[in-house]
Amino acid sequence: MRLFYELLKLSFRLQLTYRTANLAGLATNFFFGLLRAAVLVALYGTSHEVAGFSLPDAITYTGLSQATIACLSFFGWWEVMHSVYSGDVASDLLKPMNYFTFWLAQDLGRAVASLLVRGLTIMVAYALVFDIALPHSGWQWLAVGMALTLSLLVSFSYRFLINLAAFWTPDARGVGRFAFSLSWFLSGFLMPLRFFPNWFVRLCNLTPFPSMVNTVVEVYLGALTGSELIQALGTQLLWIGLLFVVCQLVLRAGVRKLVIQGG
Amino acid sequence: MWSAIDIYCRLISIRIRAQLQYRISFLLDLVAAAFATATGFGTLALVLQRFDNIAGWTLGEVAFLYGMVETAFGIMDLFFSGFDPDTFGPMVQRGRFDQLLLRPVSITLQVLGSDIALRRLSRITQGIIVLGIALALVNIRWTPAKVAYLPLVLVSLIAFFGGLFIIGSTTTFWTVKRVEAINIFTYGGSEMMAYPMHIYTKWMRHFFTYIIPAIFLNYYPALYFLDKPDPLHMPSFAPFLSPVAGFGMLAAALAFWRFGIRHYTSTGT
Repeated sequence: MRLFYELLKLSFRLQLTYRTANLAGLATNFFFGLLRAAVLVALYGTSHEVAGFSLPDAITYTGLSQATIACLSFFGWWEVMHSVYSGDVASDLLKPMNYFTFWLAQDLGRAVASLLVRGLTIMVAYALVFDIALPHSGWQWLAVGMALTLSLLVSFSYRFLINLAAFWTPDARGVGRFAFSLSWFLSGFLMPLRFFPNWFVRLCNLTPFPSMVNTVVEVYLGALTGSELIQALGTQLLWIGLLFVVCQLVLRAGVRKLVIQGG
Repeated sequence: MWSAIDIYCRLISIRIRAQLQYRISFLLDLVAAAFATATGFGTLALVLQRFDNIAGWTLGEVAFLYGMVETAFGIMDLFFSGFDPDTFGPMVQRGRFDQLLLRPVSITLQVLGSDIALRRLSRITQGIIVLGIALALVNIRWTPAKVAYLPLVLVSLIAFFGGLFIIGSTTTFWTVKRVEAINIFTYGGSEMMAYPMHIYTKWMRHFFTYIIPAIFLNYYPALYFLDKPDPLHMPSFAPFLSPVAGFGMLAAALAFWRFGIRHYTSTGT
């Protein structure tokens, strides 16, 4: 547990070190947020409410989805893959810690730093430019916190699983890119899932992807309450459990197959 | 001149052969890139079932904007891969750019020949498909002038995006590390141009009209091709400024590039 905490702290600090990179990333995310907000304003036109979301809700959604990019490493995370190709994986596997937990600790540190530096700042910037929606009560904030934590765990397990492809092929980038683009499409990152046709939403709900972005958005905007909220959080937990088991099985098979190149 | 073309072809053929070495990985890369770009338009098409139109533009009309941008950006991305700030940045960082400067061949040619990312082919294909969808959904009243102008607009767009890439890469001479904010102009610019520009707030539109003349490259030509009225009331020749804006941007970028090279100090690696 202590080791876990130290790793988390180290990667938290590492992430904060790259100030210009953080700032540049922030500017980019914010600009794209403005573009996406303009598209939604144009789509709404004269209607006040679409599929239960008001226009301020929809604009807040674009802020939230841009705010989670850095935290969830949504555009790509190749750390495990790099360590397999560089050979670092050999010494990492010898560490007195499960390989999954080893990376989870580091990813949590990175994510918390990103959430503070990039996520919160984007929402503050949004609040300055737009009339954004806020959760109504302390309980709702708590629910948002839980949904976000769970979404990070779903996202990490998925990213870890993708990276394990590196144990099998010397160039797993293609697999990774495909897997990431799949998550953009089905998670509600490009548009809130409510705006899609029903058959498409049903398809998405068969995958872990809505648990990454859409659930957080809906909880934040107060679209899920009572039993629906419990069910959404439960679904997130279910996916975490499932992905964790698959990660461990695939990892075990991968380690057995692993050939360390050079040294 | 001929020797330059010969050298370029040789450099490029090496790059192509290198990428075809890992065939399965290459194919997956191609599929991934196709999927990633297709989801953008797919999302719009699905969502428009609920919203019907975007600021008065139908799916087919937006598809025209989208298809033009995607096709042009894809073609540019293929041939200007060497100038992609993502690959050019590390080249400066690791000092590989210094090696190129030592060779007795035009530096611009060498950078152009240093990479050709074949997976961009899928973006081009997707762009052409979306453009096909646009032509099927919208009834464009073709005139000889329109038929002649369309390829010119496409080439201008390619020149424009190429210029943005060159500017992005040149900045890494000073910053060394690739600046993520460059994405605002390259990917942000192309994303922005895929939608009718009148949906954006005034300052954004002004920025992409007077500082970076993106509005003349896609939006105004589209108004002309689709016979739509101009809600922004620009002069009536605005749709025909795309070659000026596109090649002007490329020329300015090349001048900046040459300026950058003259002031280049190596990282010393």
